[in-house]
Amino acid sequence: MKMKTSRFIVLVFTVLFFTACSNDDAGEELKEFTFTAISPDSGTVGTEVTITGTNFPESTDDVTMTFGGVTATITSISTTQLTTTVPQGAVSGEVVISANGLVQTSPSSFTVLAELESGIMENLEAPQTGGQGEEVGGPFTKFSFESGEVTASETEWDIAFRGTTIAVNGGGVTGTADEPERNGNAGVAVETGTFSEVTSAEGLTYAQDADGAFAIATGSGSGWYNYNGATFTVTPIPGRVFVFRTHDGNYAKVEILSYYRDAPAEPDAFTDESRVYTFNYVYNPNDGNTSLVN
Amino acid sequence: MSLNKNKFFFFFSFFTLLILNIQAQEEEQKDSILTQDLNEVVVTATRTVRQLSSLPLPVTLIPQSQLEQTGVTRLNEILAEQTGIIMTADATVGGGEGVQIQGIASDYVLVLIDGVPVVGRSSGNLDLSRFAIGNIKQIEVVKGPSSSLFGSEALGGVINIITEKPSSEKISGQLSHQISTFNNHNSNLSFNQRKKKFGYSLFVDRLSTDGFDLTSSDNSQTVNAFSNYTVNGRLFFEPSKKISVFASGRYFYQDFDIAPSTSTEQDANALIRIDHNASPKTNLQYELYYTNYITDEEAIDLNTDTILLANDFNQKLFRPEVRLNQKFGAHNLLTIGVGLNFETLERTLFADNVSFESQYGYIQYDFKPLSKLNVILGGRFDNHSEYNSQLSPKLSARYQLSPDVAIKGSVGSGFKAPDFRQLYLDFTNASGGGYSVFGKEVELAGIQRLQENNEIANLAVDTSELGERLNAESSVGYNFGLQLKKGSFTTDLNVFRNAFKNLIDTRILAAKTNGQNVFGYINRESVYTQGIEAELKYNGFKSLNLIGGYQLLFAYDKNKQDEIENGEVFARDPATLETVRLESNQYFGLENRSRHTFNFKAFYKIPAWNANANLRVIYRSKFGLTDRNGNTILDDFDNSFVKGYALMNFSFGKTFFKHYQLQFGANNLLNFKGSNPLASQDSEVLINPGIQLFTRLNIQF
Repeated sequence: MKMKTSRFIVLVFTVLFFTACSNDDAGEELKEFTFTAISPDSGTVGTEVTITGTNFPESTDDVTMTFGGVTATITSISTTQLTTTVPQGAVSGEVVISANGLVQTSPSSFTVLAELESGIMENLEAPQTGGQGEEVGGPFTKFSFESGEVTASETEWDIAFRGTTIAVNGGGVTGTADEPERNGNAGVAVETGTFSEVTSAEGLTYAQDADGAFAIATGSGSGWYNYNGATFTVTPIPGRVFVFRTHDGNYAKVEILSYYRDAPAEPDAFTDESRVYTFNYVYNPNDGNTSLVN
Repeated sequence: MSLNKNKFFFFFSFFTLLILNIQAQEEEQKDSILTQDLNEVVVTATRTVRQLSSLPLPVTLIPQSQLEQTGVTRLNEILAEQTGIIMTADATVGGGEGVQIQGIASDYVLVLIDGVPVVGRSSGNLDLSRFAIGNIKQIEVVKGPSSSLFGSEALGGVINIITEKPSSEKISGQLSHQISTFNNHNSNLSFNQRKKKFGYSLFVDRLSTDGFDLTSSDNSQTVNAFSNYTVNGRLFFEPSKKISVFASGRYFYQDFDIAPSTSTEQDANALIRIDHNASPKTNLQYELYYTNYITDEEAIDLNTDTILLANDFNQKLFRPEVRLNQKFGAHNLLTIGVGLNFETLERTLFADNVSFESQYGYIQYDFKPLSKLNVILGGRFDNHSEYNSQLSPKLSARYQLSPDVAIKGSVGSGFKAPDFRQLYLDFTNASGGGYSVFGKEVELAGIQRLQENNEIANLAVDTSELGERLNAESSVGYNFGLQLKKGSFTTDLNVFRNAFKNLIDTRILAAKTNGQNVFGYINRESVYTQGIEAELKYNGFKSLNLIGGYQLLFAYDKNKQDEIENGEVFARDPATLETVRLESNQYFGLENRSRHTFNFKAFYKIPAWNANANLRVIYRSKFGLTDRNGNTILDDFDNSFVKGYALMNFSFGKTFFKHYQLQFGANNLLNFKGSNPLASQDSEVLINPGIQLFTRLNIQF
């Protein structure tokens, strides 16, 4: 009975206290807020993130938010929605919001993605032996999107070049001489558009090298280039964008710009060195992430 | 390339000589350079003799007087000066020159001599410089499709070279020699005679030249030195008033001086035609024609003395044809013809010798339903052993609105049979990486052969599609014209549109295990050409005739235009090399087509000197040679455009001692050379070799 009385007194005082507080404009509300969703659940540094919930405070000053312990700046606030950007130095993990002494963590963890790597590979040399009736041979020049460089690795390569032929590190042997061993799961989807229009690797069909057939078809007009019999030049087909799945399941897109050294605007078949590739690429280093534009 | 000083002195001397020889009293020449003469008749438009000015079709007539006064010696030179006709080089430097009519390329223009077709094309292009014009009465050009009468190849137009007939009882003829720049010598002799029932004529022509070079930086010449010979003998026999017989034999031989390699060309034609006027209203013509075209090419490597390329070509055509012309009333004429074509070809690059057979029949009714209205209705059916049959109808009409004004229009279809190459080529390029090309008739066997040898990696088409017949390339041409004659002015205006479909394109049939492709042929592309031709003639001055001509031309690939509309065509920004989407207004159109072409000709007679002079100017606006950024079409981003240019030709001729004519002049008087945009970075390639001076002495007897 005594217990009951004391509990009642506490309750009365508490109610009185809260009532007093709610009447107070100084904003020392202790109403419990909720954190129901974070969208998107992954993004690179600088990505705008929206958090939905209830009972958020009215002022951004009353809220602190961290991505893996790194404080983010809140750009707008309402009682049900917060917006922020992924801060520099953020790491993947829980997103934590604290307001007025209360702390809530995100219902799901947030993945901080690495920036897409945009680059231009200049003057990749892709020599070959033979041709002109002789059997074509010689090693392919291998390229890794991860390093953005030519690689000698037998395994860590994605695409390889020899003359006008492009191999991918995925599928089977085609039967040409001196071809590299394919030990990855690379593939290629040939898309049409400008380079910037190809924004995602999602849902595309990826071809791999196979017996007698390269994933990127060989020959003029079918794969990546047109041969012009009047100027004797090999010109990349404009509007052809190659979306590659890399040997380890990441994605990249490529636009070939030139087959001649230093990428002259109008190559001269007789004076400009051929079998020298220049291409633009964008590589998404995040495991299996299909976005091709930041 | 520059003019030899001695040569210049030579020309100058002649000129001085001419001035000194001016004689006041000479007979006034009776000639008609312009085609305003109402009595001028042509035979090509209807295969019957028709007055030029009354025809419902666009026809250009080049009379003998114009051939003589301009001093040109080859067919290509005189055609280049006509409204709506352009001689244009291939994109490749040093490539052949072909005729273009209403924007339609040489492949689709039929060339006839006295009504029978000439064969022998190199990559589709018939070299018109093969035809000497020394014994020619006139040249007729019918623009637009005429397959309703002539069958295959008559899509863009028909050029008919009409030779001269002997008329004099005495032996008459001429002997002439022309010297011009590049050590060019052209001599010819012709004589003919008509005696009662018999007539004969003989023409012999020899041309030799050192050729010329448009690229100074390499060792080879653009046009190598060559010499050629033409012999043409003809017999005329009229056993009775009702029957006349014409027999003609022509032989052409050309040899390029490129030792130790060889390149020769031979062209032989034989024609017998019997004309039988069975009644005043019935005329029958029996015609037998045989032609054989042979080229032998062998390229030898100077260092190793091995044969790099051997390409022999031997094409034969035999064609009997019978025609009936039946008159009904004064103005109505029915023409019916039937014939057969037997064609064979032996070619180094073909697996076997191939032969064609085709049968054809045509009918035409030329009538006047109203006194001011002329209608010609016709059609032709061609049945062929190797490709789908063709029906080619044509309707044309002309209405005389007033004595000064007439309107005319025609709609007709044209077709071009798939050529031997598209049907029978069986070629694997060993030196180009090992790709293969198969003609339609041999592709199935070819693919099977490669499959048996395990050379095929995968097929790009279904096996059932292999060997399906090709359709002939075809077109429908529309021409609507206005003729206006007011005082000394004659105006001809013609609006045209030619829509082509089923143009034959190459496609990939299979990928080979060596990484190369197997190519075949397929009907695919559709293109169109449309525009306006206008010609204005003025003969209001006593001794001066003026002609001005203009053609406006739009020529596009319809499929490509649609793809551009759909945003599927891209180009490459030359600064960044990045892809940009092409806009419709950035598509320039088909290669080698100029939007604007002009010509202006002035023929001046100087009776007091018994002389004549003329000045002809032709201009063509900017045109593009080839795609350079990989999208296979000419667009604004391609640096392959030749700037517009004009060529001015001049000649002066004078007759003295009645039988002697001396002529001199210059082609490309302004010494235009131009610059080929496809030239290598540090070298220059010209468009034209520059001024070419000439002088000719002609003796008539």
